[in-house]
Amino acid sequence: EFRFGPCRVEGVVLPELWEAFWAVKNTVQAQDDITSVRLLKAQVLQNVSDAESCYLVHSLLKFYLNTVFKNYHSKIAKVKILKSFSSLANNFIDIVSKLQPSKDKDMLSISESAHRRFMLFRRAFKQMDTEVALVKAFGEVDILLTWMQKFYQL
Amino acid sequence: ARTTEDTACPLQYVKFQSRNFENILVWDSGPDSSPDTVYSVEYKRYGDRVWLAKAGCQRTTQKSCNLTMETGNLTELYYARVKAVCPGRKQNNKTTDRFSSLQHTTIKPPDVTCIPKVRSIQMLIHPTLTPIRSENGHQLTLEEIFRDLFYRLELRVNHTYQMHLEGKQREYEFLGLTPDTEFIGAITILAPMWSKESAPYVCRVKTLPDRTW
Repeated sequence: EFRFGPCRVEGVVLPELWEAFWAVKNTVQAQDDITSVRLLKAQVLQNVSDAESCYLVHSLLKFYLNTVFKNYHSKIAKVKILKSFSSLANNFIDIVSKLQPSKDKDMLSISESAHRRFMLFRRAFKQMDTEVALVKAFGEVDILLTWMQKFYQL
Repeated sequence: ARTTEDTACPLQYVKFQSRNFENILVWDSGPDSSPDTVYSVEYKRYGDRVWLAKAGCQRTTQKSCNLTMETGNLTELYYARVKAVCPGRKQNNKTTDRFSSLQHTTIKPPDVTCIPKVRSIQMLIHPTLTPIRSENGHQLTLEEIFRDLFYRLELRVNHTYQMHLEGKQREYEFLGLTPDTEFIGAITILAPMWSKESAPYVCRVKTLPDRTW
């Protein structure tokens, strides 16, 4: 299960997410030839506290579902990519549906800290041409999974 | 007609090969390459603008370059590229796929000591140090990098019967064996979260004769 601070998410098999992404990694990342820009920078994901992690992962996964996957879907020509894409998207939907970030007032500063991290990512995304940003964001799912893995308990 | 001047210097299969986080950049020249071809290597982190020249791999005739130290941060991803220069042809550049040692490294077989006794065989698995260092300079073992790492041990008694042990500890003992008999042990490292499994370390060992009669 995932333990993002107080948020628990059961029933997600992380190696399956990896297998889905690895199946398309080289194809997708080869489409991104802007190697000098990274959306999920170190400042977004490093030293995230447990308490922050639930807010941050909720924001990131919702963005991936509502912006990246939603718009990337139409670009997919190959069935192999579509299968992996669906597996990732369905797992992200599952995780988001089980995450309940606390709305307590005393968590305000923590949720704002997580929001600032998310905005770093979102701003970098918006600064790029949309098509290019979609490909780059999808190609960075491995960075996202590597970070999420720190909160995964076998 | 195309003269050789028009064709690029042959260069192909530029990629990282990684075993236990030893990250080696390798490439190939192709069939009609010239022995005078020289290669230069550059690398960078994904997200950086500037490419860095790898000292020791500039204008080399070798077809590999050790980038272990340069690619040792587990939270980073990297690119490397090779420039091939050969007489009478255009220079050629090729870049690797995006490289993450955590994702790409394969695990070597463990280092194991198999100790035969009269009615048992002991197996001591030695820790595997990697070139990766923690922030305080401590050299990390595979166990410290892969939290879910465990060992799987098999002892082949005969063609149809094997004994199995597995766990995270490093000392194991197969008990209840026949004295003065040969067995084959196979020990594997697994890190399931990363879908990684090493090739087995194999030891052939014979239990001691029983001299108590």
